[in-house]
Amino acid sequence: MWATFVMTIKTNLRNRPALFWLIVFPLALATLFNGVLGGLKDGYELQALPLAVVEDANWSKSAGARTFIEALSGKTTQTTTDGGAGGTDMRIGASVTTLVRARYVDTQAQARSALADGSAKGYLRVDDDGGIMLTLSASAVESMSGSMASDSNGAITVGALNGAIDLYNRAGAAVRDLIAEHPQAAESRAFWASVGDVTGMTREVSLTNFAPNATARYFYALLAMACLMAMGYSISAVTSAQANLSALGIRRTVAPVSRPCQLIAGFLASWLCSAVSLTIALAYIRYVCDVPLGGREPLAVLAVAVASFMACAFGTMIGAIPGLRHSVKTGLTSAIPCALSLFSGLYGQLAMELSDWITRHTPILALANPAQQVTNLFYDILYYDDYRPFATTCGVLIAMSLVFLTAGVAMLKEQRHEHL
Amino acid sequence: MNGSTTTKTPVEPARPAVTSPAATARQKTAPAGDTPAISVSKLVKHYGDMVALDHFDLEIGQGEIFGLLGPNGSGKTTAINCILALLAYDAGTIRVFGEPMTPTSYALKRRIGLVPQNVAVFNELTVEENIDYFCSLYVPKKTERTPLVEEAIAFAGLGEFRRFRPGKLSGGLLRRLNIACGVAHKPDLIFFDEPTVAVDPQSRNAILEGIERLNADGATVVYTSHYMEEVEQICDRILIMDHGRHLALGTADELKSMIDTGEHITVETLDLDDAALAAVRALGFVIESSYDGRELHVRCRRGEHNLVDLLAVLHDAGANVGHLTSRPPTLNDVFLELTGKALRD
Repeated sequence: MWATFVMTIKTNLRNRPALFWLIVFPLALATLFNGVLGGLKDGYELQALPLAVVEDANWSKSAGARTFIEALSGKTTQTTTDGGAGGTDMRIGASVTTLVRARYVDTQAQARSALADGSAKGYLRVDDDGGIMLTLSASAVESMSGSMASDSNGAITVGALNGAIDLYNRAGAAVRDLIAEHPQAAESRAFWASVGDVTGMTREVSLTNFAPNATARYFYALLAMACLMAMGYSISAVTSAQANLSALGIRRTVAPVSRPCQLIAGFLASWLCSAVSLTIALAYIRYVCDVPLGGREPLAVLAVAVASFMACAFGTMIGAIPGLRHSVKTGLTSAIPCALSLFSGLYGQLAMELSDWITRHTPILALANPAQQVTNLFYDILYYDDYRPFATTCGVLIAMSLVFLTAGVAMLKEQRHEHL
Repeated sequence: MNGSTTTKTPVEPARPAVTSPAATARQKTAPAGDTPAISVSKLVKHYGDMVALDHFDLEIGQGEIFGLLGPNGSGKTTAINCILALLAYDAGTIRVFGEPMTPTSYALKRRIGLVPQNVAVFNELTVEENIDYFCSLYVPKKTERTPLVEEAIAFAGLGEFRRFRPGKLSGGLLRRLNIACGVAHKPDLIFFDEPTVAVDPQSRNAILEGIERLNADGATVVYTSHYMEEVEQICDRILIMDHGRHLALGTADELKSMIDTGEHITVETLDLDDAALAAVRALGFVIESSYDGRELHVRCRRGEHNLVDLLAVLHDAGANVGHLTSRPPTLNDVFLELTGKALRD
């Protein structure tokens, strides 16, 4: 058994086509993804929005609005307790992300001109009540809307900016109402201090274990495809051990070593080789392409072991199919991963949407797709706080493996090389 | 292989003691008292409705080189696969060295070597690694195995190619590697299934000499081939089979003596007319004859004066005789007469 294990490892390591598909191909594709999808990752980050700021009479009266907008522009981080025109003041923290690239204009008409010539995506002005109003150009709205938005980072920035302005305006309205009902409150320094203290009202929370990464899913789908291609190892291991499938199988079946021993040794060696090759691809994706694994790298190695076990079980089943030539089976090691990867989202945005649609509407198909499950395995590691989704996906893959192995063993038990 | 039954009556001569020149030279026989290397009795094997082996009997003594001769589909490979427990069979018994042969007869399998018809080696392993791996299936201990591997490399003449991978070897060297992988563990019983297919004459001779050396070292050899000359050259006894049945068994000389054909005479003559041809065909010893305008071919029954009588008829007919040959019967003639078809049909 040991001799067969070592021999299988040697043959796998010297199998150049397999090495290409399992190591060179994923690394090359990951490099390509890294170049092509780098911009996509940037598209999900906050970036300062070019806005015109109308410095009219209202603006001049509202010191609070000025301070607020300057803080969002990264110009100042001072604390004020000036009631201003609106009667509201905001204390801005020192670490505010710059959301606005301000271009100051005197009138609203000039601001509209800036929108028309494209030098600004919108403008900010202070209304008669001291509230801040944000107006976006039609083209900016169009570019930030829908699932096919071309300016997704702009949309995110507008969302954040809108939230901040809304908070400012609501706080201003609340202060005005309070002073109207309790005019003596305006005399209290403590009141103004508490009005400005909004840090406890909004805090950043993470809904996932790790910050969302738009490109990670493509890399995970790539890992899934590479993983499935590793089934070629176990196909060869089965073919070369079966008397009805190869001359090598005849020679090995005649030897005084039981067939189960030879098949198990071949399977274990194939599993080891595929796990190692997939680990290389994983390491490249993690450390060279800088795709996150949520700080759970050891778990990702476990995921590789589970995924490659499933791939080898799948290969065992394919390898055991009687009546199919080895060359056909080898062809299937490319065809099956390529086909299944379409439904796991490897081939771009449309494939991703198809994958999501399948998951939402026919979850059983997503469950039965090994490529989707391997992709999910890494997804679970990155995003979920606890390990239950990961354990569930591992369970699905192990169940799949058992089905594949049972089918493979059943076929192998039935086979004697009657055609000889 | 087809399912029809032959209308020919199989020749079942009394099995003679092996006294072929080759056997005598090696001072080996298949003594009746020894446990046969292989004993097959009334073996029946069907593939669906097709009968592949029809109550097939076979007994091979230890130390023999035994030839199994038959056309494609005659049941040779099926018989070997049944003996090797690669195939299940429907009826009959198989014993190897006196023991029933089953897929889990590992002790017996240790004593058996197989050289399959197709080259069965790993393309990713070197010559040495291939031999070492296949030997390791029989001899797990490295210390015991290493000298056997070296011996097999030397035996096959692959010393200078030991680090080569099979893809770099010529057809002849590949065949030699195929053989080395099958014999490295020094089996007592070796099956050679068409080992010289697509091999150049030089390599073929080397292979045949190697088989004779293995036999001289004590191995029993079962040899199947389409090449009658090879079978005749190295085999002590030969079994001719067709349609899964045992047709005839004996040494090459014994087999030839079983048939009517005595000799083939070929006469180069350009002026043979119909009357002369009729006169030739009227000769009592002529089994069949043909004339293509250049050569006259005559298959004769056994007789002392066939050639003289034929030349007399040609002389009387006024034919000018050029080149003339007479050759004794071959195994193909035996096969032709027993089955009505040539061995390589």
